[in-house]
Amino acid sequence: MQSLKVTDISGFLDPVARPWNGIAAERVDMMPSPLGLQPNDYIIASWEERPYGELEVLSAASVHDGQRIAVRLVWEKDKPSAGAGEGFPDAAAIAFPVRGDPLLMQMGSADAPIHALQWRARGNETRSVNAEGIGSSKPGPDVAAAGKGGWSGGNWHVVMTRNLAVPQGGAVLVSGHATRIGFAVWNGHNEERAGIKAVSLDWIDLELEA
Amino acid sequence: MSDRQVAMVIDLNKCIGCQTCTIACKTMWTSKEGMEGMWWNTVSTAPGEGTPKGWEQMGGGFRDGKAQPGRLPKQSEFGDPWEFNYEETLFGGDPHATLKPSGGDPDWGTNWDEDVGGGEYPNSFFFYIPRICNHCTKPACMEACPRGAIFKRDEDGIVLINEDHCRGFRFCQEACPYKEIYYNAVTGKSQKCLFCLPRMEEGVATACSRQCPGRVRFLGFLDDEDGPIHKLVYDHKVALPLHPEYETEPNVFYIPPLAPPSFDAEGNPTEEDRIPITYLMSLFGGEVVEALETLKAEKAARKRGEPSELMDTLISRNWVDLFGPFNKSPKDIEAMRLMEGGQLGTAQ
Ligand code: SF4
Ligand code: SF4
Repeated sequence: MQSLKVTDISGFLDPVARPWNGIAAERVDMMPSPLGLQPNDYIIASWEERPYGELEVLSAASVHDGQRIAVRLVWEKDKPSAGAGEGFPDAAAIAFPVRGDPLLMQMGSADAPIHALQWRARGNETRSVNAEGIGSSKPGPDVAAAGKGGWSGGNWHVVMTRNLAVPQGGAVLVSGHATRIGFAVWNGHNEERAGIKAVSLDWIDLELEA
Repeated sequence: MSDRQVAMVIDLNKCIGCQTCTIACKTMWTSKEGMEGMWWNTVSTAPGEGTPKGWEQMGGGFRDGKAQPGRLPKQSEFGDPWEFNYEETLFGGDPHATLKPSGGDPDWGTNWDEDVGGGEYPNSFFFYIPRICNHCTKPACMEACPRGAIFKRDEDGIVLINEDHCRGFRFCQEACPYKEIYYNAVTGKSQKCLFCLPRMEEGVATACSRQCPGRVRFLGFLDDEDGPIHKLVYDHKVALPLHPEYETEPNVFYIPPLAPPSFDAEGNPTEEDRIPITYLMSLFGGEVVEALETLKAEKAARKRGEPSELMDTLISRNWVDLFGPFNKSPKDIEAMRLMEGGQLGTAQ
């Protein structure tokens, strides 16, 4: 997919802002994260007979202005789970390789880490996280992560933004260059959290228009 | 497994169900926002649904070493934290106003089935089971956390949640077969009993133990051969874990309850147990049979005027002996601190 260069990204911070209508979206095939890769026996035992990650397709679009990138995700959800009280929140993430050739399904490794932005409906917040394998995620570098989600008409619309330039440990994005991007979605009503999620089948090439 | 392990023995023959322990814990640890519905210490009537309601049917723990799926308890199964109309009742001027909980008529709360118990009159029976986190040797909660946010301390085996790493996923809450983990919906973190770690580190007993008017709760290190815990668990073998079949190896142990014999239709005592042994076995496993025999035999010996170290330990004439090395008063610690700080030293 391509991240189109725009002159001013501020018109794209709202997930239902009109300018997004003019940006072509990519259809991303999703699948349940493999059960065998879950980090412990308890999680495997408690989910082996329970369906999860049933979202089949996600729509993704992106723009950047040379300073910041915005990624907009749209996926079907019959009603939103805000994660208030005892509930689990709906959530989504976009991931980038930091270096090497990390396996997306395994959330990277020590040699090949992954840097992600994660949005959660609980508090409508987006955070930067780093992962070096399943279950290892920890706060990531400060990339001025921000995001906003809104649910309407049976769909979540979420925009996540960050700086292209990053301090040590993050995934560098450069205008005119290509990288790869991965996706994850959690269904809060189904108590999906951590590694129990829908993920994109693999990395997708992402080219930042010069 | 930790290098050392602190443990608690709870004598069910002495617990009067007064809930002083529950309130001591509540006041000390769970009075902040988001913790209103938390009871790190509960005392429920047995037989009964317990707290949370029906917790023994919620799964978790291990079977033949394999992790078992569990389900999340709901706040309503613990009991919602009700607000009461104190202002209206006490100061409102209406003599007929009565205390009512917020949110309509509640239908469950901790120890809701208080004193209902089991059996048929005149052979009805009940007893109380105080419960806290068991600081298990094989903590199912810790094994279930994908973030490694739960750890067991080497020096005392206390199981803690590192809230900086917790993301509120609650796999621990599902996996704990005792349902001793609570979710704080305000902070989005899981929380649990700390075995009063800051007190224990200073040699002060847990609040639930120290405030218990029944002298019910013994404390100490499992490997301290002179302490009451070692004596009760290993020497006399009268203190047993609750539901050993969950395979988490709890470090809270119970002295099973003795009861007067059953009466026959004419009201004469019979040979039959009042509390069905099958029921006690369902709680404490097969070893409860021998534990009760030992208790009965030692009780009889004492009655005949013979010495019984076991009975002396259980009676605990000297209150602080209950607490092994954790026998300091919080007041002493306060005084020590002030002296160490060089301030007000002479005022003590
Ligand atoms: S009782 Fe439950 S919460 Fe406590 S250590 Fe055992 S498994 Fe963990
Ligand atoms: S304070 Fe002691 S006697 Fe009272 S309920 Fe708790 S354990 Fe039982």
